[in-house]
Amino acid sequence: MATTLKEREVVIVGGGLSAGLLARRLVPLGRDVLVLERGAPRNGSEMQLPSQRDDLRWSILRGLNQRENVETYTLRHAPGEDALPMRQLISFLPGFGVGGGAAHWNGLTWRFQTTDYVLRSHLESRYGKGALPADMTVQDWGVTYDELEPYYTQFEKLFGISGKAGNVRGEKRDGGNPFEPWRAEDYPLPPLETPEAGLIFKAAAKKLGYKPFPLPAANASRAYTNPDGMKLAACQYCGHCERFVCEAQAKASPNILLFPLVVGKPNFELRTHAEVFHLNYDRAAKRVTGVTYIDALTGEEFIQPASVVVLGSYVLSNTRLMLLSGIGEPYDPRTGKGTVGKNYCYQTVSGVGAFFEDRYINPFMASGSLGMVIDEFNNDHFDHAGLGFFGGAYIAAAVTNGRPIATRALPPGTPRWGLAWKAANAKWYLRSFGILAHGTSYSHRNNHLDLDPDYRDAYGRPLARITFDFPENDVKMSAHVTQKAHDLAKATGATIVSPAAPRRGPYDTRLYQTTHNTGGTIMGVDRATSVVSTRLQSWDAQNLFVSGASVFPQNSGYNPTGPVAALALRLGDDLASYLERPRVL
Amino acid sequence: MSADGTSSSDRRRFLKSAGVASASLPLLIASQGGAAATGEAPRPAVAQSSTADTAGYQILSLDEAAFTEALVDHMWPKDELSPSGSELGIATFIDRQLAGAFGQGDRLYSQGPFRKGKPQHGYQLPLTPAEYFKAGTAAASAACARRFHRGFDKLTAAEREQFLHDVAGGKVADAPLDLAAWFNGLVYPLFERGAFADPIYGGNRDKAAWRMIGYPGLPATYSQDVVRYRGKPHPRSANPQSILDLS
Repeated sequence: MATTLKEREVVIVGGGLSAGLLARRLVPLGRDVLVLERGAPRNGSEMQLPSQRDDLRWSILRGLNQRENVETYTLRHAPGEDALPMRQLISFLPGFGVGGGAAHWNGLTWRFQTTDYVLRSHLESRYGKGALPADMTVQDWGVTYDELEPYYTQFEKLFGISGKAGNVRGEKRDGGNPFEPWRAEDYPLPPLETPEAGLIFKAAAKKLGYKPFPLPAANASRAYTNPDGMKLAACQYCGHCERFVCEAQAKASPNILLFPLVVGKPNFELRTHAEVFHLNYDRAAKRVTGVTYIDALTGEEFIQPASVVVLGSYVLSNTRLMLLSGIGEPYDPRTGKGTVGKNYCYQTVSGVGAFFEDRYINPFMASGSLGMVIDEFNNDHFDHAGLGFFGGAYIAAAVTNGRPIATRALPPGTPRWGLAWKAANAKWYLRSFGILAHGTSYSHRNNHLDLDPDYRDAYGRPLARITFDFPENDVKMSAHVTQKAHDLAKATGATIVSPAAPRRGPYDTRLYQTTHNTGGTIMGVDRATSVVSTRLQSWDAQNLFVSGASVFPQNSGYNPTGPVAALALRLGDDLASYLERPRVL
Repeated sequence: MSADGTSSSDRRRFLKSAGVASASLPLLIASQGGAAATGEAPRPAVAQSSTADTAGYQILSLDEAAFTEALVDHMWPKDELSPSGSELGIATFIDRQLAGAFGQGDRLYSQGPFRKGKPQHGYQLPLTPAEYFKAGTAAASAACARRFHRGFDKLTAAEREQFLHDVAGGKVADAPLDLAAWFNGLVYPLFERGAFADPIYGGNRDKAAWRMIGYPGLPATYSQDVVRYRGKPHPRSANPQSILDLS
């Protein structure tokens, strides 16, 4: 029997980046904010030396991530197939605990570009209305880059992003991204140091006529105080960013920059160990009345009434909670009708290895977003006429770590064990790096999320079922950009370059690719084709808002944190206004 | 293997490290579901002893230990770069991992129905990793005996090489389970982890694997070094430090 608690003004589901940005905006206004986080605070051995540097514990055995025995996902590659549970979550790593994924992220902080938000309009206007495949369900977002630019600038200042601008108010700057949309200001911090791999990549890229620039990083290149007075220390290049909490307080996260601003205020509460089962939905009134959750510390179930609910949990959790709560019409891939679960996308990632007999790459001196990148083959930066696909990838020498359990590239043909294998490890560990092609993932009619009919979580609720495989468009795109990455690797003068291995289906749950899952509660101008409005307000419940990459109609070639944060900051402004005068925004 | 079932190398290690014999090792098996229910951060995946040079096995039988030692010695042979795989502690690491939270399937999703999926669905059996390791070891040993009339640990290096290639390549079909999936999905990752994880887990003794490849280990604070040693050998590549060194 659930206990009903006192009503709270704003209840945010998920204690990650969205919650941190929204609480930062609303709490100083006097608004009452309660954040429900399913995991624990982050204040233990995950952020203390020497235990923080434990590769096996945090990275390989995924100590900071959602535990599969409590909740996982099922996967099928196409509608009509049997879905099977991912009994180990390896291909992507949902966060767990305060900070969510933004506690264990790399820190790559991009802005999505002008054409990303108007992708269908843009492609149809450039290539003709019939150019897009019928099953490519890409949509416009209903928001423009110009509207989001101030929020990107604000986020970069809050998180102390290190980088090199390419376009400040229309003025092109050498050394930055020539394809960058305009930005109001330069990055708040200069780029991180360029590692050896970056120097090699840069020289090769220039030789081929490209314009390399440093990866934009939330790993602070020097000590920084943000406009809120919150501090970041300088990055130590320790190579324990992704899959780890930064013990040096140098990787921007909600834990160190956002929650400390509001924790302890009388009108803010961060309730951990609170696993939300569902939202309580009054269908007739088209309103949510609150959420039902279990306190994992006591096993008690609570009904938490709320004036406003924000879904700010992981992409897949946002969508699953909508489905479990019966809000909106589930997407049906046979008819194309319904919206909840629609346009689930991922990231199409591939790589090429480059091996140098006579260069010390020293991959262990690394940071989550360290290295050089080119943008010539990303998105629609090149003419796609006649290519048979749309989209692209950034191509980067990203030296994120040299943790040796998993980061030991070996040349093709190396045996998998024995004397020659040992010798190859000894020879190449310090002398190799990967060139990454980080590509778009465009929505496809078949790819979607729904509730699994057979499998349940530890609480007895249906798991989210992922129906996904790389669409033909993205497979062709990957073949194209991976060849470009291979050409670039060749141009470095590497002793050995591994063969181009573009991403292909079937989607393989055994290989980590990225945690850039997107879609499922997509935003848009039309309630027939989106779950939330362009203001992230549910079409089916006026007092319900959704924040996170689940609102992306499709995924760009960039890492998604920048636009997640920009949209969350804009949502903060919208909620400030909505709480004054609740209405359809 | 002696009459009382202990291998001579085991006895040597036992005598050498009498104070840390297997009986004194705490057998820490994380409670299944306990961590899940409370949301607490996971503990280290294995028991930690007072010294990395631990003797004896917590969960492997004598036959399994003999198989595992032979396997890791074949995959990680002794040479001028480092000692053998069992001397490096890889078999100990595997034993401790299987006895601990990982091996007991602490976070493995283990609800049915169980179906045979595509390889891309990953592991789909109802066995814990420890049970799976043991079942696979028995199946591989039986297949080995049928082919060579000897155990894997009694094969010549050339025979071991051929057999392992056949196992990894799916060419050993006369087994009650998919030995290629077992080897590639469980054994090989454990082997790599045992070689390159921090020595507190029982493998990578004396940081020999880190030293072999030039990984300096901890504390990994390179704010100056990232420029100073850019493109140059880092001095600590030859002298890595581990968690124990910093504890």
